[in-house]
Amino acid sequence: MLSALLFAAITPAYADEAAAEACLKAKIWEGYNQGWAVRTVTNASLAQGEHRIYLVTLYAGTEYKLSVCGDDALVNADIVLYDSLGNEVARDNTADREPVVSFKAGATDTFYIAVHATKTKEGAGKAGVSTAVTYK
Amino acid sequence: MLSSVLLVGLLNLTGCSSEEKVAEVTPPVEKPVEKVPPAIGMEELKAAAENIALVPSPAEMQKALEKNGIATGLSGKVVDRPLKMDISNKDVVAVRTGVAMADALLTVKDAPPEKLVARLTTVKAGMTTLGGGTDIGATIDDINGRVTNGSVSREDLVKELDEMHGAIIPEIKFEAGDRVVPLIQAGSWLEGSNLVAAAIIDANNPTAGTELLRQPQVAEYFLKYVQTEGAGKAPDEVIGQLNSTLLKLKEIASKPTLTIDDVKEVKSQTDAVLALL
Repeated sequence: MLSALLFAAITPAYADEAAAEACLKAKIWEGYNQGWAVRTVTNASLAQGEHRIYLVTLYAGTEYKLSVCGDDALVNADIVLYDSLGNEVARDNTADREPVVSFKAGATDTFYIAVHATKTKEGAGKAGVSTAVTYK
Repeated sequence: MLSSVLLVGLLNLTGCSSEEKVAEVTPPVEKPVEKVPPAIGMEELKAAAENIALVPSPAEMQKALEKNGIATGLSGKVVDRPLKMDISNKDVVAVRTGVAMADALLTVKDAPPEKLVARLTTVKAGMTTLGGGTDIGATIDDINGRVTNGSVSREDLVKELDEMHGAIIPEIKFEAGDRVVPLIQAGSWLEGSNLVAAAIIDANNPTAGTELLRQPQVAEYFLKYVQTEGAGKAPDEVIGQLNSTLLKLKEIASKPTLTIDDVKEVKSQTDAVLALL
């Protein structure tokens, strides 16, 4: 009994990528009503301070929305978009777990999307983070 | 912090010498909460970037074509191809599956039900040969059933196929290995690029070629997989042609602007691969 309590007290919760993805997919399907469509949805588990980087090709003239949803363990996620030379071109300005960045490229090129788990709940371990690239 | 308090309390309950045990517990150091993520340098961006979102979907290519003033839909340019999936070369099956998926995506809004079902059945056959598990097959069977009995709108189907292409297939762990997903993407991208090139030639709009076909990093990404043959595998005619096509597309895509002759070369090069499928 005691060992079970001890185990429960020190074991971090698992990242819930499925919950993060469900949150994101609800937003994506809602977006179809406004003419958005999805290119990619991908999931990751990130501890506080960790990030993932995704290379994307963005077409000139097309509007893009980069969206993230985190599970309950995530407090603040951030998105930063870099151009092919590494210059920051956009970032979200919110401190929540569902950031969005809208972007329209001046010319077709490759860009880097950095998704940060800036803050997780204390003792939460890794957080589930789902990222989508949508366009219209 | 809570966990360390509980740890100390529980150790006391067990009757151990609390002085000895407490001395072993190091209070956790509170990490400073970062309000703004730190900037990432170019070297890390290049080294750590994942390619899962790199390749535009065929439907996205169609949308970008419209944004560039070419209203011609790509669906009318899709041709029926007898894509055999019961062959031993899994790389070729993956490329063929990608082509079939692109055709289904591009014609989902207006294809006759029997043609759409046939295209999705081809995708399912490819998934089966590649060892994609039973879930994807069941999903396609379900979609085909609803297409056949007319119980799903084409608008809803667009969403479902987008999800299959952009969210479900990239996450499948194929028995045929990690090369499968990039090669499926390569098939879809080649088919989309071929149809886009045809539409640009018809419209004689090389500016659209510059905006839509200059994707050297996409060609490079696929080349990495095409040029890494499995151990002991004999080079295949399709994969050999795919390799030379991607090298040529990378060369063309590296130009600052494309001419109509460049677009014709893209069409010719992609035709050469698709003809072998």
